[in-house]
Amino acid sequence: MSTTTTRRDLLKLTTAGAAMALAGCARAASSPTAPRASTSSARARTGEIPKRRFGGTGVRVSAIGIGGSHLGEVPNENEAIRIVHEGIDGGITFFDNAWEYHDGKSEEILGRALVGKRDGVFLMTKVCTHGRDRTVAMQQLEDSLRRLKTDHLDLWQVHECIYDNDPELHFAKGGVIEALLEAKQQGKVRYVGFTGHKDPNIHLAMLGHDFPFDSAQMPLNCFDATFRSFEQNVVPVAAKRGMAVIGMKSMGGGGQAVQAGVVGPEEALRYAMSIPGVTVTVSGIDSIDILRQNLAVARGFEPMSAEEMAAIRTRVAPPASDGHFELYKTTKHFDAKVGREQHGYLTVDELPL
Amino acid sequence: MDAIPMRELGKTGAKVSAIGMGGHHLGDPASYDESERIVHEAIGAGVTFFDNCWEYHNGRSEDWAGRAIATSGKRKNLFLMTKVCTHGRQASMAMQMLEESLRRLRTDYLDLWQIHGVSFDNDPELAMAKGGVIEALDQAKRAGKVRFVGFTGHKDPSIHLKMIGMGYPFDTVQMPLNCYDATWRSFEQRVVPEAGKREIAVLGMKPMTGKAGPIEKGDVTAAEMLRYAMSLPVATTICGINTLEHLHQNLEVARGFRPMSAEEMRSLREQCRARAADGRYELYKVSLLFDNPQARLAHAFPLDAKNMEVKEALENMTNLSPPRP
Repeated sequence: MSTTTTRRDLLKLTTAGAAMALAGCARAASSPTAPRASTSSARARTGEIPKRRFGGTGVRVSAIGIGGSHLGEVPNENEAIRIVHEGIDGGITFFDNAWEYHDGKSEEILGRALVGKRDGVFLMTKVCTHGRDRTVAMQQLEDSLRRLKTDHLDLWQVHECIYDNDPELHFAKGGVIEALLEAKQQGKVRYVGFTGHKDPNIHLAMLGHDFPFDSAQMPLNCFDATFRSFEQNVVPVAAKRGMAVIGMKSMGGGGQAVQAGVVGPEEALRYAMSIPGVTVTVSGIDSIDILRQNLAVARGFEPMSAEEMAAIRTRVAPPASDGHFELYKTTKHFDAKVGREQHGYLTVDELPL
Repeated sequence: MDAIPMRELGKTGAKVSAIGMGGHHLGDPASYDESERIVHEAIGAGVTFFDNCWEYHNGRSEDWAGRAIATSGKRKNLFLMTKVCTHGRQASMAMQMLEESLRRLRTDYLDLWQIHGVSFDNDPELAMAKGGVIEALDQAKRAGKVRFVGFTGHKDPSIHLKMIGMGYPFDTVQMPLNCYDATWRSFEQRVVPEAGKREIAVLGMKPMTGKAGPIEKGDVTAAEMLRYAMSLPVATTICGINTLEHLHQNLEVARGFRPMSAEEMRSLREQCRARAADGRYELYKVSLLFDNPQARLAHAFPLDAKNMEVKEALENMTNLSPPRP
């Protein structure tokens, strides 16, 4: 896959000490901050992964997290476990997952990998009622705890709020929101939040219920920045409430833009991690190579300057403006099986896009 | 037998039948002969409005409709529309498409030529850009090749509003109108009144949501859905008809049609509201299912080989045009 090749090439250049030359090529002409950025790039390789305050919770988490869905896609389970271990050794503490990823396989793999390491990490998974009642949610919680081999979650989020009527269904009497409270009272989860990739308005409708969510997860990348934008519309609202913001899909969810040469993988990840208000960027990692490339960006990470970010936004805005780099917003491609079933939609096979 | 009502087409002075024949479905039957029978019987029953589009079935829809209209000998009595498929690309491409459409439709003029599939957020600005498709509309009108012009789309009312808001004097605007759209991302609520204010004729489509999903699930009947759509302030309701049986069902509703009462309409909207609210039946608003491969390619969206239009397009690669620059 050319994404991998590009990232691997970048890594080689970086380890060969050519990072400054690379950064210079890409940015010196247009950005007055390029020399400073190059210096911090060089420093980045020796530093630690920054920790950031997780909203108002008092907990600190690593600025980059490992996405649970991709862990279930690693061809070899031992390789998946190695990714988790090497991630932890590299300073990653934030682990994402969901009850429905690969029918439970993602949670099972992570659970095995975290044996003996549970206390050092911030463990999140997601509940997948998709409109069903709280008893379904509480059963899923037990499944998740069992698979993850733990007695509590650090964060439990309502997964995939992507249908316009999801907020209404979740907040209905007997709905999943009541389960969040119950699980908290039982000491099975410390914090609660919600996720979704479709439309900032759905996130705002969730927030409009004034429930004390600790976090919200959303796609944040340089394409989102100007198209139906979570960065513009949701991050400031969540930040104002003191919530943690969890970014995902830093490359646009599929790497098409990277393959098309519109943006470099390192640049895309740095943009996502630099957004003011973002706490942690969850990254889909399905090989040790990708992990190492992400670690290289995250170590000693210093945010891009506002000018550098503005230049990237301006450059990618025209191709971003029809949404073909963000298929989770404009097609059915990222909408999972259980949610489709509950909302009476065609299956993934019948309606892939 | 009662006649199918005729209605004013905005301020154009033209009158059209209250139901129209959708061009896409005219390319569906297994043979031209079946399609011809449908066209001839519809014309005999008083349907005058014929929809079509340059890209439907890679040109087969235009070809078959053109042939059937020619053999009917009624071209002059009909109101013939087709659509141009630049999808953001330039006016010169549009003029080539116009010549192909006229040739396939076996006519030297169109009553209406519409910009097809204004579906992506940046389509309005691309259409209006210098050298864009809007210039082709003007040029074709001046050349006497088209009488009236408009645009179509099925994705989002705000895209239609942006297009209308640019101030170009469109004669018509086409959009999905049905009892599910009525309460969800609603063209009925948001676009129909705006078009009315500007005296742009409204053409309804997808009266049964394009896939008849709610009918198959038993939520509503086909007749209810068609009656609802036809009761809105529209010039015509374009129906996808690919069998004589469906033609007969639609004619039964259309003959001597009397609109639903406001109360009847309200009650049907309420009945449909809960299942309208997640878009499950209006897949044109939430997926790429109804976006032609030409539109996807022009915008660099992916193709999926299971889509019928994609399959047909891949079988005939010569009709595929490159992405816009």
